Amino acid sequence: MSYDALVIGGGHNGLTTAALLGQAGRRVAVLEARPVLGGLAARDEFAPGFTTPGLLQDTTNLRGAVVEQLDLVKHGMRFADAEPNVFAPQRDGRGLVLSRNDVHMQAELDPVSQADTAAWLDWRASLGRLRPFVQRVLNEPPPDTAPGSIRGKWELARTGLALRRLGRRDMTELLRVGPMCVADWVGEWFETPLLKSLLAGPAVRGGWVGPWSPGTAANLLLHECSSGRSVASGPAGLVDALAATARAAGCELRTDARVSKVLVSAGWARGVELEDGETLHADVVAASCDPRTLLGLMPRGALALHLEEQLGAWRMRGTTAKLDLAWRGELRFRCRPDEVFERAHVGETLDDLERAYDPVKYGELPQRPHLEIHVPSIRAPYLATEGHQVVSILVHWVPLDVLGGWTDERRAELERAVLATLGEYVDDVAEHVVASRLLTPRDIERTYGLTGGQVQHGEHALDQLLHMRPNPSCSRYATPLAGLYLCGAGSHPGGGISCGPGQLAARAILEV
Amino acid sequence: MTRWDAIIVGGGHNGLVCAAYLARAGRKVLVLERRHVLGGAAVSEELYPGFTFSVCSYVVSLLRPWIIRDLDLTRFGLQIIPLDCSFSPLPDGRSLARWSDAEATRREIAAFSQRDAERYPEFGKTMAQMARFVKPLIDSPAPDPWSLKPRNLADLWRTAGRMREMNDEQRRILTKMMTMSAADFLDEWFESDVLKAPMSVSGIIGTYLGVRSPGTAYVLLHHYMGEIDGAFRSWGFSKGGTGQVSEAIAAAARHYGADVRTETPIEKILVRDGRASGVVLENGDVFDARIVVSGVDPRLTFLGLVGSEHLPDEFVTQIERYKLRGSSGKVNLAVDRLPEFACRPGDGPHMRGDVAIAPSVAYLERAYDEAKYGAFSKRPYLNVVIPSVVDPSVAPPGKHVISCFVQYAPYNLAGGADRWPEQREAFGDTVVDTLAEYIPGLKESILFRQVLTPWDLEQDFGLTEGNIFHGELSLEQLAFQRPAPGWAHYRTPVDGLWMCGSGTHPGGGIMGASGALAARTLLGTKAV
Repeated sequence: MSYDALVIGGGHNGLTTAALLGQAGRRVAVLEARPVLGGLAARDEFAPGFTTPGLLQDTTNLRGAVVEQLDLVKHGMRFADAEPNVFAPQRDGRGLVLSRNDVHMQAELDPVSQADTAAWLDWRASLGRLRPFVQRVLNEPPPDTAPGSIRGKWELARTGLALRRLGRRDMTELLRVGPMCVADWVGEWFETPLLKSLLAGPAVRGGWVGPWSPGTAANLLLHECSSGRSVASGPAGLVDALAATARAAGCELRTDARVSKVLVSAGWARGVELEDGETLHADVVAASCDPRTLLGLMPRGALALHLEEQLGAWRMRGTTAKLDLAWRGELRFRCRPDEVFERAHVGETLDDLERAYDPVKYGELPQRPHLEIHVPSIRAPYLATEGHQVVSILVHWVPLDVLGGWTDERRAELERAVLATLGEYVDDVAEHVVASRLLTPRDIERTYGLTGGQVQHGEHALDQLLHMRPNPSCSRYATPLAGLYLCGAGSHPGGGISCGPGQLAARAILEV
Repeated sequence: MTRWDAIIVGGGHNGLVCAAYLARAGRKVLVLERRHVLGGAAVSEELYPGFTFSVCSYVVSLLRPWIIRDLDLTRFGLQIIPLDCSFSPLPDGRSLARWSDAEATRREIAAFSQRDAERYPEFGKTMAQMARFVKPLIDSPAPDPWSLKPRNLADLWRTAGRMREMNDEQRRILTKMMTMSAADFLDEWFESDVLKAPMSVSGIIGTYLGVRSPGTAYVLLHHYMGEIDGAFRSWGFSKGGTGQVSEAIAAAARHYGADVRTETPIEKILVRDGRASGVVLENGDVFDARIVVSGVDPRLTFLGLVGSEHLPDEFVTQIERYKLRGSSGKVNLAVDRLPEFACRPGDGPHMRGDVAIAPSVAYLERAYDEAKYGAFSKRPYLNVVIPSVVDPSVAPPGKHVISCFVQYAPYNLAGGADRWPEQREAFGDTVVDTLAEYIPGLKESILFRQVLTPWDLEQDFGLTEGNIFHGELSLEQLAFQRPAPGWAHYRTPVDGLWMCGSGTHPGGGIMGASGALAARTLLGTKAV
């Protein structure tokens, strides 16, 4: 069989690339190893009658441009009406709801700290000034650092001008904040420990960093500047729409099609071979799998030796585990029993988060892990059986390989720690849990074909972002091997359900 | 009454360097030091009869060679004895020594990893290349990314030019060095923990960060920038103690006509009509000057000696946000015999360098973990030197001084920094216990012990929060942001008030660059 383009991996980024290429009239096939499309955004029935709409659940960073370009709304995607609030429960106190609505936020903060209410408005205003520039960086390919590239210099000059347009104060602030640790940054603005922890969460999850690690302020900045509404039926809803769009554009979407190698001849990527021996030919091969998985698919020597070495050193140390719970009744937090929350953040102080992070460095389990909770069935009741909810918990800073290996005892120990931590805020946890399913980072690696189980396809650290993602020689989606492109989260702007890498890669492919 | 051209606040090495340059240019300069000895943290004191201690700073590596030449410091008594070994003993009786002799080092490393032994020289070469790029940056004022002044644009162009001269691979490594953690960076090169641990510690000295904290890799470069007689990667002792460096600079300053006074503590920097006009001493004496140059840290300068009422609000916020969290302490010992390491008994060349108690990366990281929550490390990282082995002038015959740089000792203890005085001896015991695991007879040989906590560094040496670098050397506090964005060129919001200490670019260590660059800026702008 022969195609214009083959996309390795049918996750949200692969589907985005395929749909955009299909729209442009290319003949495209998507090859997904698993029986379902979606990758980390695929729905998954973890217990009879209980389905989680994705391993990752936060859809607030989805690029608006992708939604428009692919007309996803026409293909069935809807944004949720509700604000994407996050609730942080407290043992003593009412907890705090983080809202993008300034009026609601003011009502939350006023009783806790009026100084923080004022600071909140100032902080949001300052982010508002930085946002256009940061969004520009996220929505464009990283700067072209190839020497002698006229275009690279031109782009760099334009970015430089955009930076200057911020004005001296905001420009220096941006340069100052980037390398800081998120704890220091939020500490400069706010005094309420719970607020600081709640804000810092998105900056540290998924990586080998805690709130006191330098460079994490940049993550918060990127998160805050790209965050918007969430998708109504969660990641799976987005994937359904992407798949429908891609099919409508003529793409062939194949599941259970595991690529075993990329075919290379005479310095060109010519197609792929599947595990069952079938070969498919194409002018373009676009890989949305992680860079190290791709490395494993390449014949030795197809990439330059130094690139092979450097991609081999690409840091993908997974720290995310997932505990899905079939929950009888509703999830109610003791400190606010009258409300239900779709999203919650467990970790009351920056030090709580930091202490949850510490053990991973030594291959140990956290005693009180940091929990990122989603209850998708509140908005999508069909995900759970009658009178029940799906409670999906991302458990942060779980080592890829716990000391002594993942035995049944160690798995049980982790699950106990998660439920005990939850139990500090929720009554009678054990009585609510009807069924559970735990995925350790190793399980995630195995299930999703994701090196190290690292959900961002490469840790978000300052040396693995922008033109360093995943390597200066292939940061603009084209690799040094003709015909081979990257289109996954291992490329700029990185992990999370943004569809940004898929979109920018498609643009790069179509430009050739 | 005399009116000075310039009054320098603080007789540390940077203040003295600045004074010497200004005096050499014919300016009438007065240096005022609070303590009875010159040098600030670069000071030697006879704390116990017959024993000379380099009380705080203990090795000289980054003192800029052009300063030595300009001020003719060798003539005024500066003499550096090179250290040619880095020794790391292990608790299990093994040890690793790295020598200036490449072949000997290869053999040592090969005992732990053949692969690492092969890569080590290549690593050194790469670091030297990187250092060549970074070095010009520490020898000139930091370019300002905002200013469109021709001189600044020329600086930026030159910096960009050096970037262009690097090849792709060098640029990639430089980017990684500026952002990665020391441990991650070394992981890409080496496999042996025994090698990586002592190498990674250069990234954390004086910082409130761990070897796994991003941003610590670039400090690895400093090890390869130290130069004595032009040789890369050389460290040395100052003969007669670190204070001799300061004494030599002071002698040069006096030679050029500067008036250098000790035991003259300053109460206030005088500001009249928005202009610094002089200083008031604690005893009430007033000295007038055309300009005042502060060699003390930015927090003490602005919030202590100037007062926020004389400063714009935004600048006060910047200085309040400036981070100074000290993280290290010092234990100085006088001992009655030559210390003997269990893993390499007896005297030997391994005693003539620095000794790192850093057995593994996890050991160092755990030491940091404790400090994050406000406790000193139960098993700290130690950098130990025994200067009396190579410089007999600092101890009586047969006896020795041991200097232990200790990390982590966070200034902000849980419960408050003022708990340090009651914790001081426990901290000292921890250090001695840790070292005694490697030097079994240590405790019995101790004649005298001095324990300096970050609290003491603040009280005795005027280092705010005990920060030995006048402010953390984290990326957001370097170059054009040191000490605050817009105020990196030694200038301050108060007319006639300037800075010349480690809290300005390039900061940190006994470099003297801040003092010299400040003087150059003052003379270049005809401020004095």
